[in-house]
Amino acid sequence: MLKYILKKLLIMLLTLWIIVTLTFVLMVTVPGSPFNSESSSNEIVQQNLERHYNLDKPLPVQYLLYLKSVVTLDFGPSIKQSNQSVNDLLGRGFPISAELGFFTVLVAVISGVTIGTLAALRHNGIIDYFAMTVAVLGISIPNFILATLLIQQLAVNWSIFPVATWQSPKHMVLPVLALATGPMAIIARLTRSTMLEVLTQDYIKMARAKGLSPWKIIVKHALRNALMPVVTILGTLLVGVMTGSFVIEQIFAIPGMGKYFVESINHRDYPVIMGTTVFYSAFLIIMLFLVDIAYGLLDPRIKVNKKEGD
Amino acid sequence: MKRLLLFLLAVLTVFFLAACTANEDAGSDPEEQDQAEASEETEDEPAEPDSDEKVLRLNIGTEPTSFDPSIGFNAVSWDPLNNLMEGLTRLDHEHQPGPGVAEEWDISEDGLTYTFYLREDAKWSNGDPVLASDFEFAWKYMLDPETASPAAFLAYYIEGAEEYNSGEGSPDDVQVTALDDTTLEVVLTQPTGFFLDLLTNPAFFPINQKVAEENPDWHAEADTFVGNGPFKLETWNHDEELVFVKNEHYWDADVVKLDKVHFAMVNDTNTQYQMFEAGELDTASIPPEMSDELIDGDNVFIGPAGGLEFFRFNVEMEPFHNKKIRQAFSYAINRDDIAQYVVKNAVEPAYGFINPGYTSPTGEDFRDVNGEVVEFNPERARELLEEGMAEEGYDELPPITLSYNTSDLNKAVAEALHGMFIEHLDVEVTLENLEWNVFLEAQQGLELQFSRSSFINDYNDPINFLESFISDSYMNRTGFSSAEYDELIQKGKTEVDEEARWEYMYEAEKMLAEEMIATPIRYYNTVVLEADGVEGILRHPVGYFDLKYADKN
Repeated sequence: MLKYILKKLLIMLLTLWIIVTLTFVLMVTVPGSPFNSESSSNEIVQQNLERHYNLDKPLPVQYLLYLKSVVTLDFGPSIKQSNQSVNDLLGRGFPISAELGFFTVLVAVISGVTIGTLAALRHNGIIDYFAMTVAVLGISIPNFILATLLIQQLAVNWSIFPVATWQSPKHMVLPVLALATGPMAIIARLTRSTMLEVLTQDYIKMARAKGLSPWKIIVKHALRNALMPVVTILGTLLVGVMTGSFVIEQIFAIPGMGKYFVESINHRDYPVIMGTTVFYSAFLIIMLFLVDIAYGLLDPRIKVNKKEGD
Repeated sequence: MKRLLLFLLAVLTVFFLAACTANEDAGSDPEEQDQAEASEETEDEPAEPDSDEKVLRLNIGTEPTSFDPSIGFNAVSWDPLNNLMEGLTRLDHEHQPGPGVAEEWDISEDGLTYTFYLREDAKWSNGDPVLASDFEFAWKYMLDPETASPAAFLAYYIEGAEEYNSGEGSPDDVQVTALDDTTLEVVLTQPTGFFLDLLTNPAFFPINQKVAEENPDWHAEADTFVGNGPFKLETWNHDEELVFVKNEHYWDADVVKLDKVHFAMVNDTNTQYQMFEAGELDTASIPPEMSDELIDGDNVFIGPAGGLEFFRFNVEMEPFHNKKIRQAFSYAINRDDIAQYVVKNAVEPAYGFINPGYTSPTGEDFRDVNGEVVEFNPERARELLEEGMAEEGYDELPPITLSYNTSDLNKAVAEALHGMFIEHLDVEVTLENLEWNVFLEAQQGLELQFSRSSFINDYNDPINFLESFISDSYMNRTGFSSAEYDELIQKGKTEVDEEARWEYMYEAEKMLAEEMIATPIRYYNTVVLEADGVEGILRHPVGYFDLKYADKN
């Protein structure tokens, strides 16, 4: 197991290096500069700016400077917000995005699994049709539309919740609802289909024959296997929502990190592009690794270190 | 089952830890904690009518770039900064430069030497007096090439400034001198009629030398920020909120009526409008799709903004190297229709390059004197196109691509133009949208044939725009080069006799229109929804908004 983990770690570092290098190549290939704008400027000012941010140096030197910033995990100041470092920006934005993302996943998983299971148990019944209609709607309505609808109804018309900004738990309800609906629907459909499959398996019949209570059969035997696909998407889902959603954070004025992914590229804010990319990739790689391990825990037939084991 | 439980437990612990860290962070930051309390107070406020505090709640959209006066070269930084600090001069109710930190000033006969007398009671928000040396320090800091100030070029009117900023001169040769604590002498390279106006720009704000030398990052956080304006910075929750409170050290504190100003950072037009509807904001902009519905309301402020939307011709590319073909395209544009049906929001169509609002030395408006220098005339457009094509020997026009940076509004304007060129010239142009930065790079590199542009004035003088088109200017972006035009602009900048100076500018604008290297579309304006009881916010056509006299009842 230890050998497996070490090997995995090495591959993870290699992947990260490839990502960093590719990002750098893409960044310098895309036309544009962080100092382009329509406001007045002149050549002297532009040269001073380029020198200040080391952008006048030859590309290999810039590449080494970037590598150094990645290795030391110090990405330097943002070009757009020059009095703040990239580490500040991510350090402030990530906890907020992560908090929002965590509750989103929590709501999505609990309600998705419950709805999916209920639908499977009442296969082709009213509950099933109802649940699947809700799920199809949830998948097909984009979250920014849902967000605007929620704000208009619950905040402006009925004044139950505040419109936007990030201050109290009450401010969290609408964005969590808007973000969780899509993943919830996906999880509900996944759970339903695998659950249906699992329920026809021989070991479930066996359990029934043994006289186990239906509750025990579902929770202990069926659900555990039915959750496999949910776990598979959980890794990517967690990384996706915990690193912030650009659109939802913009609509609800949430000071998370979602906007940096998009805005850094629009502004050609090179240090922030590098910082967000490295952060996101590292987070994703680690989550995928955890999911790999979780498979082994959930399903004894999958051995994470199969080669060594056999 | 046990293993499943164990796994779930592990996952939960990890995330609760993550969530807890978020909370710990919030707890360890005293600012944020204060903020939470402050926001609870404001939430309670509508319920407690006894609260006498006057709190104005505004939205600035995004996090300011920087509150370092030399660095934050954009409206989102300078709008708030204009209320936290004050320069030698400050724009008054008539949008003219009036006394600020400087109580009065002398200008030498030749228009080159300005002597400013600072008021004795001008103080920083920490109680220090504002000294003439604070201005000298701030301006030399802005011009230091190491500072890399994007606004530095604004100061090139000062003797020695351009040399120092380009790395060739020394700070000692920059002719800004504090003669004593309250006297500042500035020597210019050439007479500059709008210098007092230029000084209202936040780039020329002072910096408390003592504070800045102790802590170069003084401007980054609320705790360390020291200003000299009507308000002081109480809280700065990055990316979330700014809170200003009345600055009791301000020399003119008696006229400041507001106790507090909250700036939210909501970057979504619909959300900020919904917040305004729900009573969470006191002012808001109008979402484009609601313009028809809201623009005629009583609570709408509509004012001019110094700026122009226009399209540049690339005079180095076929067929626009031909003047008549350029003119033909300009004559084919129905600007009234674009303003009224496409852009809406009560914008004014532009029949000149310089927006209305600049008063000449004889008291007339620049626009009234020069009249309409472009017009919509489909017949003339057709004639000119035929003549131009004959001159070039074209049977058919080479393909034309009209480029704009991606945005819904730009797309709508481009599509309207596309239709007008088909209707009036029988020419079908190809529309092309490009990502903002790619677009700017291509325009700068003269790779675009016919492209959208906008201009926002930095200071209150027509020369600001006209100067863009001198040969080899960084702002030119058309390939246009004319010795005659360069000379007009040089005179328009240096002529001591103001009336004569304005004559040169009138002529320069006419020449731009005759040469037709760019065609104006519409002037910018400022449209703001204001809640009942909000009054006195000064919104200058050129410059940054001023809350000094604002009130809320």
